[in-house]
Amino acid sequence: MKIPILRLERILLVSIQVDLTDNDAMQFQSDLVEQVAEIEALGVAIDITALDVVDSYMARVINDTASMVRLLGAEAVICGVQPFVALTLVEMGRDLLGADCAFNLGQGLEILRGRIATRGDTRFSENEDV
Amino acid sequence: MTTIALQQVLHEQRSALLTAWITQVAALGDQHSVHEHALDALLRSLFDDILGILERQPTANPSLEHEESLALALRQLVGEQARHGSSASTCVNVVLTLKHLMSAQVVTATDVTLEDMLWLEQVFEQLTLLTVTAFLAIRERQITQQSLSLLELSTPVLRLWHRILLLPLVGVIDTVRARQITESLLEAIARYEARVTILDLTGVPVLDTSVAQHLMKTIDAARLLGTRVVMTGISPEGAQTLTKLGIRFADVISRATLRAGIAEALLLVGQQISPLEGKR
Repeated sequence: MKIPILRLERILLVSIQVDLTDNDAMQFQSDLVEQVAEIEALGVAIDITALDVVDSYMARVINDTASMVRLLGAEAVICGVQPFVALTLVEMGRDLLGADCAFNLGQGLEILRGRIATRGDTRFSENEDV
Repeated sequence: MTTIALQQVLHEQRSALLTAWITQVAALGDQHSVHEHALDALLRSLFDDILGILERQPTANPSLEHEESLALALRQLVGEQARHGSSASTCVNVVLTLKHLMSAQVVTATDVTLEDMLWLEQVFEQLTLLTVTAFLAIRERQITQQSLSLLELSTPVLRLWHRILLLPLVGVIDTVRARQITESLLEAIARYEARVTILDLTGVPVLDTSVAQHLMKTIDAARLLGTRVVMTGISPEGAQTLTKLGIRFADVISRATLRAGIAEALLLVGQQISPLEGKR
């Protein structure tokens, strides 16, 4: 099952709605990083509103993806962690989701835009001839 | 005396053999090959030495290691060939050509014994060995020199702006290079009192555990001197590998391109690039 990657200017949106198999996860990660590198994305929002259960494997996949995205020079935010999911994740271990989280997609985008605005490469963009 | 026949044959055919050899060797090498006169003189001296050895009493195990003049001539010849880009097989062929010429002569002679042929064979075996050894030694030295000069060239620390350093990394990073990179970077940071260092990895083909560990050490050391590190140009594959290896670069800013990295560095030191008044 392929996870669609939506583009909002230089921000990418992905919404994970079912549990991923190993292959799906790898495919998702490589699709996303390729896309991030291709458009030189500034931010990525990973939405997991639809996930009622997040096991340690899914948590690691999400976390790894966020790290990869940050290595490629984009900000990463995880949106829509459900209360029950948050509870189980904390039970399993505190650092399972290391990336920044937002309550919903709207707030996630707000966080992303705020961070992007303080970045050096976007501050000067009005002075550049691109 | 078994060698008398061999000696005689070789002696009689001396000049014919030498001429044939020189012609064939010249045909072996391509047009760009060694300077003709130099080659000629080298081959002559080599020929005399080989003949001198062949005319001796056969021994069970001819060792040519102590033949100073022969070894010198051979080294010179191989050196010339190697410098002009000939392969090892060309060098060996030079020796083998002479062997073939001599064998052809010796076989047609009537009173040459099997021992003579064996002796000829043994001497040329040793000669071939010597040639290969000499060639390898020369190549080895060339490689060492080249990697040394590569080491010198490959790790420049550039002063991009006031208090901003740029370290473009190109090629494979091994332990030796990593140490050199770290040393020269730290030295430059101290000298220029750099606040930001941009580490450009666009030219690094493979990011694996060892490379990542070297990078981390470099970054940690730089941070101890109080400079922020900005990494740029990591490929998608590189990012995936690093993450899957469980490597986290904490407190390191990462940007997609060198351009974005420079902008970030300028922000960190409170500078900006802006158009000149009225020149837009």
